[in-house]
Amino acid sequence: MKIAESMKIIDAKWVEKQEGFRVQFKRYSDGAWIADMVPPEEAAALDSDVTAWRLAWKLAQSTPLSGKEAEEGDMADIRVVDQNGNPIENYATGEMDILNRLVD
Amino acid sequence: MESSMVDRLTRAGSMLGQHGAEMIQALLILVLGLVALHWLMRRLKTLFDKKFNNRARAATVFSCIYVLLLTSILATTLVQLGVDSSNMIRLVIIVSLIAIAAIILFRPYIPTLPFKVGNTVKVGDLLGKIEATTLVHTRMRSFDGKTIFIPNEKILRDFVINYHVTPTRRLKIDIPIRHVKDLLKTKQLLEGIMVADPRVQKTPARPVVYTLNLLEGCVVLGARCWVENAKFWVAQCEMLEKMLLKLDREGIALAFRRKAIRVFHETPLALAQLGGAAEGAALQAETGSGPGPQPPLMSAVPPEDLET
Repeated sequence: MKIAESMKIIDAKWVEKQEGFRVQFKRYSDGAWIADMVPPEEAAALDSDVTAWRLAWKLAQSTPLSGKEAEEGDMADIRVVDQNGNPIENYATGEMDILNRLVD
Repeated sequence: MESSMVDRLTRAGSMLGQHGAEMIQALLILVLGLVALHWLMRRLKTLFDKKFNNRARAATVFSCIYVLLLTSILATTLVQLGVDSSNMIRLVIIVSLIAIAAIILFRPYIPTLPFKVGNTVKVGDLLGKIEATTLVHTRMRSFDGKTIFIPNEKILRDFVINYHVTPTRRLKIDIPIRHVKDLLKTKQLLEGIMVADPRVQKTPARPVVYTLNLLEGCVVLGARCWVENAKFWVAQCEMLEKMLLKLDREGIALAFRRKAIRVFHETPLALAQLGGAAEGAALQAETGSGPGPQPPLMSAVPPEDLET
């Protein structure tokens, strides 16, 4: 096997190379929770998970859930997803964090 | 005096009457030609920057085209003014050939600034983005918002680092760890962080972690990877943050430079030397120790007040 071939195997099966990140959340609007994300799908994704998690954290801090009735503009279930929409672990905690989690 | 002035004005008036239309047409050709030339050269420059890898060759071809077009515009203007066209064509060819030969022969010896407007460069100790260049000085905007005017003479004499010549830059993070047993695990973690990052590129080299050194009680690991120039600084900061947090979570102890201070307990003699003669004598009487070889006194501060 040539080195180039072995590198292809490593690229495909060792650590997954991320392509971009988005912050996914639900926003309370007109009496219902609507799924949304930033940056939107038509825009380029963020190239840094650090930036994405900081953005998620700031959004969560800006719209804390009061614990009672949801209010217009509230944001919940804030998390960072990869290019395929799969949640990624928080680089700081190593957990699949969800900020402002909605209690069912 | 007045009559000669009137004569001149009359002659100018009659000349304008005879050739006014040609002069206006010539002026129009000149102005429109120069505007069109400026527009065309800007497009060509963009195209050349994309297509040519060899910048020097691109600049030479660019200059030759510019000279040819400029002389053609000037010749057309003069022909419109009534200059003999056959002579003009000869003149245009001669001037163009001389100019092109001069460009090709002497261009490598003409000192030029090693950057363009918009490039991020380091000139001596100054780092910033080039905003404008004139014949005398270059205007740079530093990253903390200062506008710096640098004499071109200084730029030509000093060393210049242009961060736009190559598209990528190597990111370098050195991490000292405390235990050799963590070496392989740390290497794996650091490499994994670099590989997963979207900004890290596979060329000119893949991410790699070296064991750099063993000094002052720590093993120094060096993480190296390549990122785009524009993303270098932020990528370096964020990569370091991710690496430190990951190692902390995995329980890998980082090593920091430490300085050990050894403190010897006071002896009666040392106390006496420090001014406490009476106490020294009393202690000497109690312990029965006299003058003799003593360990060196490092500090008069009580040992409990010192960090060891």
